[in-house]
Amino acid sequence: MLFNSFEFLIFFIIIFFLYWLAAKNSLKYQNIILLFGGYVFYGWSDWRLLSYLIVASAINFYLGIYIEKSSNPKYKQWLLYLGMLQGIGGLAFFKYFNFFIISFKDTFHQFGIDFNISTLNLLVPIGISFFTFKTISYLLDINKRKMNACKDCVVFFTYVSFFPTILSGPIDRANKFIPQLEKRREFKYEKATDGIRQIFWGLFKKVVVADYLSTMTNDIFKGYTHYNSITLLAGAVVYAVEIYADFSGYSDMAIGIGRLLGFEVTPNFNYPFFADNIAEFWRRWHISLTSWLTEYVFTPLSIFFRDYGELGVIISIIINFIICGIWHGANWTFVLWGLFHGLYFIPLIIKGTFNKKKKLVKDNLLPTLKQIFNISGTFMLVSLTLVLFRANTISEAFEYYKGIFVLNFTNPAEFLQYHYKNALLIMILFLVSDWVRVKLKFPNTVRLIFYMFAGVLILASIGSQSSFIYFQF
Amino acid sequence: MLLIISIKNVSSIKNNNMTKEDILQQVNEVFIDVLDNEDIKLNNETTAEDIEEWDSLSHIQLVVAIEKHFKIRFKSSEIQSWKNVGEMIDCIETKIITA
Repeated sequence: MLFNSFEFLIFFIIIFFLYWLAAKNSLKYQNIILLFGGYVFYGWSDWRLLSYLIVASAINFYLGIYIEKSSNPKYKQWLLYLGMLQGIGGLAFFKYFNFFIISFKDTFHQFGIDFNISTLNLLVPIGISFFTFKTISYLLDINKRKMNACKDCVVFFTYVSFFPTILSGPIDRANKFIPQLEKRREFKYEKATDGIRQIFWGLFKKVVVADYLSTMTNDIFKGYTHYNSITLLAGAVVYAVEIYADFSGYSDMAIGIGRLLGFEVTPNFNYPFFADNIAEFWRRWHISLTSWLTEYVFTPLSIFFRDYGELGVIISIIINFIICGIWHGANWTFVLWGLFHGLYFIPLIIKGTFNKKKKLVKDNLLPTLKQIFNISGTFMLVSLTLVLFRANTISEAFEYYKGIFVLNFTNPAEFLQYHYKNALLIMILFLVSDWVRVKLKFPNTVRLIFYMFAGVLILASIGSQSSFIYFQF
Repeated sequence: MLLIISIKNVSSIKNNNMTKEDILQQVNEVFIDVLDNEDIKLNNETTAEDIEEWDSLSHIQLVVAIEKHFKIRFKSSEIQSWKNVGEMIDCIETKIITA
């Protein structure tokens, strides 16, 4: 079920009223409604998907309790391994099995050996990468005594299947989210209106910005052999903004829906395109995933390699980003995309500027020259690397790069043809509006006019329901 | 920078009678050196949230510097289990006593 669909609207209205009217005074019923609603939402396209979700929830629920209870460290360790096996094994099987088989066959085929192994036609549980990360970190945190095991199965099952975030995150950590499920939620008018505003803004980013930009990028990425260098570069840049509008729009809607139900869902984006280096970019992009990877992949690795100084950090960051890449999907393009991002950190690690947490400066409205240089450099690097993310194969991505870098300026105004100029204008307006939002606080009347304008545009574009890019991961 | 820390070590540690306050004070000095911020004032409740320069990367640099300073070796699981500076101090103390 898509957030930007009519069926979701009906579904949510029913849940909302049951939740706040019928179950107003009962924590137990509030959670049961969320759980039941979550299963309806998740199983809507195919009810068979529910079986894996329920089995995975049950296994992790009991493992959590037994890991906490066990006084024998060896036994504890084995239970943890079992949990990791369930999580990583489930992911490997459903998401990567066919990829492994094909890569294995291709490798041996090059040496003239052919295996007759067929790939499986699997029904991949949607959102599996997202909810699996939730259960993995839950067990690791219990094992490290960072949190207590959840003893209430309704609470735990609801945590795993929380419908606003199950399909595409943000990845809420158990130690922040389970306590919210253990307390009865009270309806707060301000929180709810805040939630509606965020849903509205997310919907705008998705159906107005991302969907319009996609009409241009679909053209260019499909027929990339026919375009000149400028158009291909424009295609890469517009795709970067499209995926940001799409995914941060989705995240805003998830956070807003969470707020309407009385929850604080973890944030996912913080104006990533205004980052002035790659480390800063990753602190602002898909934050719930990167902070997860930092805690459970990068930190243990860098502790393990700590005697090797900068080299240890470099190895850790590269492994971290390769995992980040492959998390997105079973394709070598994602592996390479992750590897590139890992490599981009090397100059920062050597220069020692990697570990400077920075805040967006609110003072000057216009950026300084140095800021413009660093921000646009980072943005171009991210955009160009996203070509790998978008392409179907590595060779396709490199053909695209060749198209950009083997300069070809025939028909220089090509990137402004058809509706492309509108798409570029929308992209620029969207980025400028983000910049202004960081720098200025608007009076309510200006915001109201803006929301009305956005509303008209949403209504004008809502006819087509397109899926979210991140649903495939 | 690490070299300076290790020179300082010779005079200041290898004293098994160190109190928790002594350890805290020395850890504080290591933090000031590694994070290059004179204003850092640690207490037992301090966490990475409280100090701007203390993030995932500088954490590793701090751990390495503390290990060198006290001539001890932490286990990975110990490093990852600390919730605040106080727990780290406790861990250092047990290591020094058994050293």
